[in-house]
Amino acid sequence: MRLTLQMLISHGRVARKMGLGPQSRINMLRNILTGLVRHERIETTLARADEVRFYAEKLVDYAKKGDTDEKAMKMASFWLTEKDLVPKLFKVLAPRFETQSNGYTRMARIPNRQNLDRAKMAVLEYKGNPFPPLYPVKKENELTLINQLLKGYREERAQQLAAKS
Amino acid sequence: MATRTVCRLLQRRYASTAAAVRPPAAEVHSQRNAVFSREQARQRALYPRIEKIEVSMQGPGLDGTMLIMNRGMSTPLSCARHLTEYHVTSSVLALVDGELWPLHQPLTHSCSLTLLTFKDNDPTLVNQAYWRSCAALLGQVLENAFKDNYTVELLSTPEVPVVSGAFCCDVALDPQLDSWSPSEESLRSLTRGAQQLIHQDLAWEPLEVAPSVALEVFSHSRYKQEEVEQKAAQNPKGTVMLYRCGDHILLSGGPLVARTGLCSQYEVTALHGLGQGPIGLQRRAQGLSLPLQLQAHHTVWRKLRQRAEKLVDVPRPEEVTPPPLSTSDQPDSQRFDTLGTTLLVSATDRPSLL
Repeated sequence: MRLTLQMLISHGRVARKMGLGPQSRINMLRNILTGLVRHERIETTLARADEVRFYAEKLVDYAKKGDTDEKAMKMASFWLTEKDLVPKLFKVLAPRFETQSNGYTRMARIPNRQNLDRAKMAVLEYKGNPFPPLYPVKKENELTLINQLLKGYREERAQQLAAKS
Repeated sequence: MATRTVCRLLQRRYASTAAAVRPPAAEVHSQRNAVFSREQARQRALYPRIEKIEVSMQGPGLDGTMLIMNRGMSTPLSCARHLTEYHVTSSVLALVDGELWPLHQPLTHSCSLTLLTFKDNDPTLVNQAYWRSCAALLGQVLENAFKDNYTVELLSTPEVPVVSGAFCCDVALDPQLDSWSPSEESLRSLTRGAQQLIHQDLAWEPLEVAPSVALEVFSHSRYKQEEVEQKAAQNPKGTVMLYRCGDHILLSGGPLVARTGLCSQYEVTALHGLGQGPIGLQRRAQGLSLPLQLQAHHTVWRKLRQRAEKLVDVPRPEEVTPPPLSTSDQPDSQRFDTLGTTLLVSATDRPSLL
């Protein structure tokens, strides 16, 4: 559950109400998280993506403890409804994020749903997936005209500073 | 015909006396243009029948594209026009079978074509061509900036690498202007002249000509004629490249970019004196420019501009300035004689046109 300022002010009475109740909410998030682990990039409503993001990151944190850890295995088997994904979580996702300590997922807004209810939509993905990038990759090229001019400028500056000191 | 070339040679021999009674600039321009147009028409008439060539395009998203174009008529630009507007506006130069090719020069054989832009992975060649073109534009501005009673002699443009921060254009002004030093205001007016040319979006039309034609084009300027001879001697094919931009004709050491409209930010930053040369006080005009696709923020531009005001020292592997006219008399006449024979040969090759 995401803690927001609004929630703080209203003493815990305001939260996103999803599904038909607390149990339904958890089941729904489990299903979405299973889909995320299977496909590594999913498209869902913004609210659901936002809620499930927290659990997706936490699950990787548990998976990093290793598949011999009792708690980690319990969490994996609870949150992944399809059990063939448990090895994937421990063998693929956990090694991928070994160097990172947080921020394993990325979320991006996409246009509102048009056919049904105009809901805000979003894309949620695990980083390092094999799909084409969500945002255009910024190209850095040292050889372009302006970069060459700036390179000359920087070199001259460095020379001047060296001569001064 | 022979007498005519001999006359021309003699006229060049005594060009120093001819320079004193220099015809007005407008006449010089119109004469140069007439010769250029005549030669251009002649080269176009070499392909009277429409023949087709196959041009295979190379580049991102273009692999396997084959265009059927007209020989001696279609240019790389017309190939780009068959693609998208992006290709038309952003192409700067073309690479025909791995050889740099100006965008307005007609294709003469079936080939593979790559369109080069400023944002390629390795735009070094494009950058050099852009720098050269900006220097050519600066020369054009300087030639037209002064009143008719002041002569302006453009000297050979030194090749400056982009890293040095400014392109430059050597010029020898009228002896009456030796004491003149340019103010901020006059540099600004030069910049304005360049901006007007950029706004007109003029094309640099290339034309590869035999030295005899180039000598006729530059028949009013002795210095240019010597430069033509140098360039022709250096070139293995024995030809020189002429470019026309608006009504200004220039001799280029390498390919120029497609049109003036590719420049966006352009500023003439300084005009330094270089001391006495063989034809009077030499000056070096410097400028800074960036293309439309790569514009700089004004803070960055200001820093680059301040750097561009400093005098660029040209790396010269061999002595670029021509030898003094009086001391080296013997080799000069030697060269003139060899050139005279080539003139005669080329004149007899195509008697119907002269």
